[in-house]
Amino acid sequence: MNGLPEKLLTIFSWLALSALAAALVFLLGFLWMRGLPTLGPELLFGHTPPLDALLFRQQVFDGLFPAVCGTLLLVLLSMLLALPLGIPAGIYMAEYAGGRLRRLFNLFFDILAGIPSIVIGLAGLSLTIFLHRVFPGRVAPSLLVSGLALAMLVLPYLIRTTQTALEQVDPLLRATAPALGASRLQNILRVLLPSALPDITGGIILATARCAEDTAVIMLTGAVASAGLPGSLLDRYEALPFTIYTISAQYGSPEELAVGFGAAVLLLFLCMGLLLAALGVQRRLSVLLLYR
Amino acid sequence: MRRRQPAGRPARGLEYLFPAAAAAGGLFTLAILAFLLVFGFPLLVDGRLAGLLLSPWEPDRGLFGIYPMALASLLLALSALVIGVPLSLGTSCVISTLAGPGLRRFLMHGVRLMAAIPTVVYSFAALFLLVPLMRRLLGAGSGLGLLTAAPVLALLVSPTMIIFFTNSFNRVERQVLLAADALGATGPQKLLFVILPAAWPGILNGMLLGFGRAMGDTMVSLMLAGNSPVVPGSVVDPARTLTAHIALVMAADFDSMEFRSVFVCGLVLYAMTGLLMLCFRLVAALGRRTRHERPA
Amino acid sequence: MKTDSQRTKIRTRDLCFFHGRRQVLDRVNVELAANRITVITGPSGSGKSTFLMVLNRLWEEYGRCSLSGRVEMEMDGRMVEIHDPAVDLSGLRRRVGMVFQQPNPLPMSIFRNVAFPLKLIHVRDRDRIRRAVHSALERVHLWQEVKDRLHEDGRSLSGGQQQRLCLARALVLRPEVLLLDEPTSSLDPAAAAAIEELLLELKSTCTLVVVSHYHDQIRRIADQRFTVVNGRFSAD
Repeated sequence: MNGLPEKLLTIFSWLALSALAAALVFLLGFLWMRGLPTLGPELLFGHTPPLDALLFRQQVFDGLFPAVCGTLLLVLLSMLLALPLGIPAGIYMAEYAGGRLRRLFNLFFDILAGIPSIVIGLAGLSLTIFLHRVFPGRVAPSLLVSGLALAMLVLPYLIRTTQTALEQVDPLLRATAPALGASRLQNILRVLLPSALPDITGGIILATARCAEDTAVIMLTGAVASAGLPGSLLDRYEALPFTIYTISAQYGSPEELAVGFGAAVLLLFLCMGLLLAALGVQRRLSVLLLYR
Repeated sequence: MRRRQPAGRPARGLEYLFPAAAAAGGLFTLAILAFLLVFGFPLLVDGRLAGLLLSPWEPDRGLFGIYPMALASLLLALSALVIGVPLSLGTSCVISTLAGPGLRRFLMHGVRLMAAIPTVVYSFAALFLLVPLMRRLLGAGSGLGLLTAAPVLALLVSPTMIIFFTNSFNRVERQVLLAADALGATGPQKLLFVILPAAWPGILNGMLLGFGRAMGDTMVSLMLAGNSPVVPGSVVDPARTLTAHIALVMAADFDSMEFRSVFVCGLVLYAMTGLLMLCFRLVAALGRRTRHERPA
Repeated sequence: MKTDSQRTKIRTRDLCFFHGRRQVLDRVNVELAANRITVITGPSGSGKSTFLMVLNRLWEEYGRCSLSGRVEMEMDGRMVEIHDPAVDLSGLRRRVGMVFQQPNPLPMSIFRNVAFPLKLIHVRDRDRIRRAVHSALERVHLWQEVKDRLHEDGRSLSGGQQQRLCLARALVLRPEVLLLDEPTSSLDPAAAAAIEELLLELKSTCTLVVVSHYHDQIRRIADQRFTVVNGRFSAD
């Protein structure tokens, strides 16, 4: 009888871990097995010669190239929109906001962070419809709208990352520059931000990964199954996650399905790679800062 | 004698950017709500809100109720939690206490990597691995349904919960842990008698977080739960969640009631988010209060 | 009539300081003489460090504090209330340098650490900067030790060297007042003695206010001494 609860807890915990690990290994292993063989230039470029595709001389119809480009453009656009808002807002929360205002903003940003991505996509769609009514014929679901919506998706994450990184700066370091006559802005720009940079950069990279992997938002705001490369910001586009979904729902042949597996593996690599980059950057920047 | 407060310094140029950015962010939160309200307006105003929330989805009969979808979302999320919470708790126990330092680091990295796996990738793999399996196990049906989607959803939300639980475990006060150590408590004993009881706000909040994520996910239910808009009769029946509903009805005519129903779904999800947020804060506050009342 | 050696540099009248609702300083009425070393001593928690932070208004960087009373400093021949809105806060902190109890080099090279205050006031003349850094490091007797590694990180120095680095950094703008919060408490005896020597040298160009609880040290360097108990000052 002695020690039975503890023993049960121990056994259960290790079992739980194993179950999770096993499930993960099964799923990812399966994906890997089906997807790895498809990796190669044909996956990206189909029957189009790679060089022609890369130089935009020829369209790619049966490869993932347009989707990969779409994802990259999308990520670039949304980060360009989100960063100039997210980082300053985070600085505000950490360094300027106080009392009731701070709690209010905290509430807003927490809600924004919790809104399901499909609802954000829905809001993006409504924005499109609304603008379509105001400027008929000119605004439609497109790269631009998706970029805006994705920016909304990652904004709260950027704000919180920046805020937390700044709040964790050593209090002694925080008081150093003011004691030397620095204004608050100088302290932020010359001491606090540089000191918090590793964590902020890590957060930015993770936000990038979030933009790359999201499907729900882009489904409602401009991603389509085949559109080739987007000619402008107001065009529809292809994106990797959406392509994966479309193939799963409507694949016509084993070859198409194989492309789906390849795409899934590709997306997986992309997101994992970004995560590792974030961890690496955080560590490396911290070390760099230590020896500037 | 008059008391001085810290003299605020006038904001200069760049400093106006910071509050402006925060205000913009707050405005976006409100704007999203506004859009949902404006577009869902006709359905709400018709006074049929109760009907909407409670009636079934039969567009040919003019019924645009989202009740089946709301129920499906709840069932799926709860099922995912029933599977996921014990697994996550167990894993957190291992990571925080039972594992040695090497394994601990490996597991934390593993969990973080797991959190980076896109939901569409999980769903895709499960679609071609789990669904045929389900078909064979059940002997009938398409293999798509709550029972197929729930474990995958559990897998999806587990990393978030694990990280949250582990953090709560690690934040139990050092003095208390040291006292337990000094009295000769083993790892599992510490967990059972000290850490788990003390970390209950964190555990509760982690579950709320997981629930929110499970309710809010689209791809798993879209690809794995079948998409039948009727109330599921059992866990093996197909069902459609609120999120999947939004994704599917997209193709309808923008001015139709059918289309507008998705905005009501959106509002329900938005309201759920707000509600979860409040519960989260409540639990955290309760946790803090009981900590203060414990003797120092 | 006051002679030069008895000129007052800092004067407080009924200074009270509050952290939230707790009173930390209680009706402080002191006069600190110019070009002298004033030592503030007393049991821990009695308000000594807080007093220092009043003198350069650094308390304003921390929340929930307030004070009442007058704090006057001699600036350009006149006694000026330092909380007067007309007083530029950054300017005040450039006249009143501070060295903290724990050495706090910024995460940058030795050179950049000392040059930092110049950067804050937008000095761009590289020669002027180099000369000022050299001069400051010479004043604290650190130049010989670091002249060949000015571009190494400031945190790679030993504790005593770091503290001297912080002192050099505080001196580079030639402040009139220097506040030191237990400057030798984290140093070994040899390093501590070096700092004390330095303080005695600096008297001629600065007014020094030192918090210390080492009786020997106080005996060696203090011209004026105040003991603080529960926020109340008493002169010795």
